[in-house]
Amino acid sequence: MTHKWAMVIDLDRCTGCEACVVACHAENNIGTAGPDQAARGRAKHWIRVERYWEGQFPNVRLRFQPVLCQQCDDAPCEPVCPTFASYHTPEGLNAQVYNRCIGARFCANACPYTVRFLNFFNPQWEKPLHLQLNPDVSVRSVGIMEKCTFCVQRIRAAEIQAESEKRDLKDGEFNPACVQSCAPKAMVFGDLNDPNSEVSRLARSNRSTKLLAELGTKPNVNYLQRDSWQDGKNG
Amino acid sequence: MQRRNFLKISALSGAVSALQSCGSPEQQLIRFIPDEDLVPGIAVWKPSVCTLCSAGCGTLVRVMEGDAEVVRKGRTGLIKMGLAKKLEGNPEHPVNRGKLCARGHAALQVLYHPDRLANPLKRRGPRGSADFQVVSWEDALAELTSHLSELPSPGNVRSSDSSGVHRAVETGPAPLAFLTRPLRGQRRELIERFLKAFGAPPSIAYEPLEEAVLRQANLLSFGSAALPTFDLARADYLISFGADLLGTWNSPVAQSIGYGEMRQGRPGRRGKFVQVESRMSQTGANADEWIPCHPGREGVLALGMAHVIVSDKLRARDARPRPAALIAGWSEGLPDYVPESVAKQTGVSAETITRLAHEIAAAESSAVVIAGAPLAQTNGMFNALAVNALQALLESSRAEPPILSFTPQPPIGATVPASAATPASFSTLNSLAQAILNDQPHAPKVLFLYDVNPVFGAPASLQFREALAKVPYIVSFGSFIDETSAFADLILPDHAPLESWVDDVAESGTTQSVVSLAPPAVHPLHNTRAMPDVLLEVAQRLGGPVAAALPWNSYDAMLRAAYVPLRQHSSSTATQSEDDFWSKITAQGGWWSTPRAPRAEAVFAVPAHAPAKLAEPEFDGPAREFPFYFTPFPSQSFRDGSLAHLPWLQEMPDVITTAMWSSWVEINPKTAAQLHIATGDLVEITSQHGSVRAPAILSPGIAADVVAMPIGQGHEKFSRYASGRGANPLSILGPLTERETGALAWAATRVKLARIGDAERGKLIVFAGGMSRFPGEEERR
Repeated sequence: MTHKWAMVIDLDRCTGCEACVVACHAENNIGTAGPDQAARGRAKHWIRVERYWEGQFPNVRLRFQPVLCQQCDDAPCEPVCPTFASYHTPEGLNAQVYNRCIGARFCANACPYTVRFLNFFNPQWEKPLHLQLNPDVSVRSVGIMEKCTFCVQRIRAAEIQAESEKRDLKDGEFNPACVQSCAPKAMVFGDLNDPNSEVSRLARSNRSTKLLAELGTKPNVNYLQRDSWQDGKNG
Repeated sequence: MQRRNFLKISALSGAVSALQSCGSPEQQLIRFIPDEDLVPGIAVWKPSVCTLCSAGCGTLVRVMEGDAEVVRKGRTGLIKMGLAKKLEGNPEHPVNRGKLCARGHAALQVLYHPDRLANPLKRRGPRGSADFQVVSWEDALAELTSHLSELPSPGNVRSSDSSGVHRAVETGPAPLAFLTRPLRGQRRELIERFLKAFGAPPSIAYEPLEEAVLRQANLLSFGSAALPTFDLARADYLISFGADLLGTWNSPVAQSIGYGEMRQGRPGRRGKFVQVESRMSQTGANADEWIPCHPGREGVLALGMAHVIVSDKLRARDARPRPAALIAGWSEGLPDYVPESVAKQTGVSAETITRLAHEIAAAESSAVVIAGAPLAQTNGMFNALAVNALQALLESSRAEPPILSFTPQPPIGATVPASAATPASFSTLNSLAQAILNDQPHAPKVLFLYDVNPVFGAPASLQFREALAKVPYIVSFGSFIDETSAFADLILPDHAPLESWVDDVAESGTTQSVVSLAPPAVHPLHNTRAMPDVLLEVAQRLGGPVAAALPWNSYDAMLRAAYVPLRQHSSSTATQSEDDFWSKITAQGGWWSTPRAPRAEAVFAVPAHAPAKLAEPEFDGPAREFPFYFTPFPSQSFRDGSLAHLPWLQEMPDVITTAMWSSWVEINPKTAAQLHIATGDLVEITSQHGSVRAPAILSPGIAADVVAMPIGQGHEKFSRYASGRGANPLSILGPLTERETGALAWAATRVKLARIGDAERGKLIVFAGGMSRFPGEEERR
């Protein structure tokens, strides 16, 4: 059975702690831009925590929303790529084939979620910081577009392990780096083709929504909206 | 030929051809024989312990084979060795249960930091210039030992041998001081034993945002001088008075796990969360209700709620007399705290106070917590005792187990019990600085520094920098040159935590007693030595009572002697051999007791302490000249500034402002409009003690009479990533202290605010909207 990888992010659990942000940098060899390049908008964060202010002091609220590649079924980034570097895998992931990419940036323009990042310069790891690089993930050079992969290296490793043991993957036996570090368990990852997986169960919640659903991109990241509290009952 | 050997030879010949045009190829060509057998491409997970904050989370280190340039026996060369690639939470560890915070992930960059000290250093230039030269360990230890043996001390062989013990006793304590970050477990035990045997006073644990007020209040209210543990997963209602419990305070990973369950872990039952503070924190942003309260009035607000609960007979006021006895007027029903008068003092409406009191009293299980700025006032103790009394009142009629408990301590002996109340580190540091500055006879002649940076972290008004310059001999175990270790005469760089034996005893965050313990996850990269092993060796070189007090030849032998007796405390391990037990606890990352639900603290003895009367907060600086309350807050990335050298954390956008690599000042938009300040404008904050400059960020989540600034940036010297970046709000704080404990009242300074310039490129770097240009940039191009 093919898998359909998906994620659920419960905004009622998310605390905005950003453990996911640093876990992603560590897992995926994301280069540090440094202050000068970051000031030019060239910092790369495959996952970021957006925040929305509502109201004015003192009746003010702040809402957090982690945003990463939504791994859309109808991804606007894919058809625009002149070199077929943006590619839809059989498991439904929006993959980026680095050695096809010519840095046209059409995909970044097309993506409504602004989760694609161009390498404006060759990333530097000042020695011995290079020793932290994850050997399972290729380092992207200048002119290459990069983005969240749902930690495809972890997906492949788990699939190969399961195959060698002649069994199916178990729900929750592996997770992308962001999900693994999430303390309040706001993020859940799994297979939507398995109706009993936790991610399938949560995606059916009545709080489940998709980001910019009206664009018809059919994202595979579901957001569970924040609950409200009314006299001890759930809103 | 094996593939491995082929690869080695080809790597070697490749290096030869590559290096022919480079300098000193003979240095580069050394290839050491690997001393462990790792399979290329296969990851091994090894346990370790996070040491970046005092939560003491257990980690797992992903170790894979790789090529590293290392120093062995004084020579630099390449070696295939196990390299740490990624940190994850240890799923078995009772505190963090497989999870890890953003800062914990970045501990990897401590290990691989390009500015980490690789060799022992001796001062060459003037004090504080950070001009050092490399020395050998032998020379460094010989120099240190000779300085120590010249000190008059009862535990010192030479002085007692030459002129007799009597002279040494008459001199009083040895003039040796040990300044460290707060430590637990055997590192602390080792230092205390060393100092005691040497005849020196106990070590001074310093951290800028210390918890002395809460510890003292908990000792009075609940009989335990520890930070509390909250089982939030079972809470239906939580009111936090300024506690950044989901961000930086206490045990944030454990608290965040509980918070997630409180919100959505129980179908159909969602706990409510209320945050009281004057500047919205990351934690406050998650609240269902965010309530701004005048700074220093949080205790009054808590007692206003207690008044409503008692007078509306929602709880019996005398059920838990111990915490209640600490509040003046409690037995009369708190007549001074009627909601209308509380509303005037706090700025929170009487209706809100009454409603919150009824809501929390109706909840089946609830918790109130206080930390951060409310405790860093001159009346911090009053605020803490008030909130503790409210907690006791709410829990008085509850079924056990309580939401609030104290982590049981493991049954191991210690020179200093972990639960003992410690004096406020600010006042201890202050007396140390005064003793040095005034040339008092007991002022230290030798000062040890371990993982502590008071030149950055203490207000300039304390004059610690000036005091350091007068200490005859300073030894640092620091891995980096920072503002404080720049004054050292000798630096003996410690291993990174992942290269060391690490141990810790959890103070909070779990209801089990926990010893975290792990062997080194990787071999050392540099010519460094573990601080405990250096102290043990120095003790042996000194001989006499110091050597007798520290008989172990290595730190792991000391750890084993301390922790193997835990075997007797569980029936499942009591029959194991010592070796089996030791292998088991070092392989799983520590020892923890079997889970047992805590019981409500049945402490009914009334403490011998005068009841706390309403205590008004005092502020440094007259309100007329300095109209704003200044609230420094621990940065989400750097906590108190000790993590500002890690590039991942510098580039992590602050979740409230999305600022990276920057300092900033949060200002209410109405205040900003009056002063014609826009986001990005350079502003100057001035207190009676100095001024700092940083770009402004207009934030709706801050009161009009408060300005706030993150702590952590503004380092003069702390690696290439943090030096000269941003401004340090701690430097302009007044020296006011909390009245009862002497802890620094870091939220009690008043400031004035002025716009001094337009936005400057590179001063405020934000991730959201980072592509938009700053005003004027177009013209300059």
